[in-house]
Amino acid sequence: MENKPQNGMPVGQALLAAAMLLPGIGAVHAETAPERGSIGVKYLYYKEDQPGLDRVRVHAPAVSVLAPVAGEWSVAASATVDDVSGASPRYHTAVSGASRMDDLRKAGDVTVTRYLPRGTVSVSAAYSTEHDYVSRALSMQASLASEDKNTTWNFGVGGSDDSINPVNHIVQDAGRQTVSVLAGVTQVLTPVDVGQFTLTHTQGHGYYSDPYKMADNRPDKRRQDTALLQWNHRFVALGATSRLSYRFYHDSFGISAHTLGAEWVQGLSDGWTVTPAVRLYTQRAADFYFDPVYDRTLGEPFPPGYVFGSSQASSADQRLSGFGAVTLGVKLAKQLNRDWAVDFKVERYEQRGSWRAFGSGSPGLAPMRAVSLQIGVTRQW
Amino acid sequence: MVNPVYTIDFQAMASRCEIRLAAADGAEARALAEPALEEVRRIEAKYSRYRPDSIVSRINAAAGVAPVGCDEETLALLEYADAVHRSSGGRFDITSGVLRKAWDFRLGTVPSASTLEALLPLVGWQQVRREGGSVLLPQAGMELDFGGFGKEYAVDRAAEILIAQGVRHGYVNLGGDMRFLGPRPDGAEWSIGIQHPRDARATIASVPFSRGALATSGDYERFFEADGRRYCHVLDPRSGMPVSYWRSVSVVSPMAIAAGSCSTTAMLLERDGLQFLEQSGLSYLAIDQDGHIFRR
Repeated sequence: MENKPQNGMPVGQALLAAAMLLPGIGAVHAETAPERGSIGVKYLYYKEDQPGLDRVRVHAPAVSVLAPVAGEWSVAASATVDDVSGASPRYHTAVSGASRMDDLRKAGDVTVTRYLPRGTVSVSAAYSTEHDYVSRALSMQASLASEDKNTTWNFGVGGSDDSINPVNHIVQDAGRQTVSVLAGVTQVLTPVDVGQFTLTHTQGHGYYSDPYKMADNRPDKRRQDTALLQWNHRFVALGATSRLSYRFYHDSFGISAHTLGAEWVQGLSDGWTVTPAVRLYTQRAADFYFDPVYDRTLGEPFPPGYVFGSSQASSADQRLSGFGAVTLGVKLAKQLNRDWAVDFKVERYEQRGSWRAFGSGSPGLAPMRAVSLQIGVTRQW
Repeated sequence: MVNPVYTIDFQAMASRCEIRLAAADGAEARALAEPALEEVRRIEAKYSRYRPDSIVSRINAAAGVAPVGCDEETLALLEYADAVHRSSGGRFDITSGVLRKAWDFRLGTVPSASTLEALLPLVGWQQVRREGGSVLLPQAGMELDFGGFGKEYAVDRAAEILIAQGVRHGYVNLGGDMRFLGPRPDGAEWSIGIQHPRDARATIASVPFSRGALATSGDYERFFEADGRRYCHVLDPRSGMPVSYWRSVSVVSPMAIAAGSCSTTAMLLERDGLQFLEQSGLSYLAIDQDGHIFRR
């Protein structure tokens, strides 16, 4: 092996010295190594089961970013990267959003972000296509901070226009258009309290059914409203932080859902933190969801009295049923030294029709359980 | 008043490329990016194997016949290729492109041992003679290929042109190889994801950047699978066979060309790549065939 330090220099610097001799790039501004950054890797193991059968297994690495919002507070945000480094020619841009905006962008798509002294405005247009699906979306987001930076307002508006051409030709060129608006405020309440309130409204019309499921016929209009309230409080004497959240969801399919979340982030000695968490969820079934009782003559999957060609809305999608769910989890993290941190998280999810609060849930569905394990390593350099 | 950030997308070197920079308006952004884009196209044309008039095609056409006089830039790149060849223990070899004649990644068939044996004598940087500003490939059939670092070189050149024009916020991205010209206009860093080697829609890690460069090599760019084995386009010049130890290697360095050479060399060194990366003194993230992640 010849890849030993050359002339006493590490290989990387030797190559850099060689590269500096190249014309036009020799004038590198004596840049030393990039500034201190951090890299985070999470590995998620997810297993879902119903009695008697394994349903889904997912091994998904996920990325997490910590974005400071005020002082020493940090809120975990889902990863949105500016760009992706990979062996060419694969390329994609991650744009967070409910629609499939993360697909390969066509040339000519533009995202323009304007950074203002106290906020940002960004406008993005996206076009994505799959073999059975084309989506066009346009969105605008703005944030504005108050003079004292204690209050931040967020506004967003977005629209999408999709066309669906399922391979079974059950519909052709079915369209769906949606418009969403979002408004939120993040407020530093006291030096140890941060609150956030966000409202989202989405209105859409078009094809909502699952083209690959029989007897799945959903209304062609949908209105969805979400309200999210979060409150983080720091207990200085205990070295702990509580995070409480409540989310209310309602849509015109008749689904109403409440989510209550609580986490306790407890700092321990030697850089350890332990975070137990609980999440309670309850959902009312969609008006047109039918229980797993089928028509006597037609049999599964047709609901009793099903008439072919009728415009009556119906669906057997379990996600539209009435149920309650409980998630229990605990995360253990340790800052190993200035550079390294590791974390381990385990979560147990269970969903049952009978657990629905404020009314009875959908009968006849087996409970669904899931366990997820996540191991993550974060390094700063 | 802080300037907004504009994105200029384009296609070059068979990759999706973009330049992002802060400018007063769209017209200024385009005007600033234009010379950098021109530079990328110039390098692409000059070192393309597919253009009969390119310097690379002329050198290859004269293999076994006559030395070809080269300009300063080409001689400097050959000097650099020599440095990488040495520091990689001979694995990074710009004469190994000829092996592509045996490997058709679209058809997806494994070449016979005799096909490879016929080509291997044509691989060997140490055979190439460089004297008095000219270069000679001593055997007919030998080929030079600048594909191993041409794109990263173009990233650095384009970045230098933008810096010379006063661009202080932005970056150049040619097919995932990037060089950063400075943070966002508000001082925040750019957040860059690392492509998941087995899931085209996912990233496996992310890194914030404001300066420096990042390059990634992987076994997922061009490959085929046969008899349960993956054959990728990164070929070992000794055997002519694809390497298989790493799924992906990303390296951070002040310059894109150095980052790219290190990531490719690590791929080529297979198991020894880790030791190489450790000795490089650079930050890296490498993922092996079992999905284990190594980093510094």
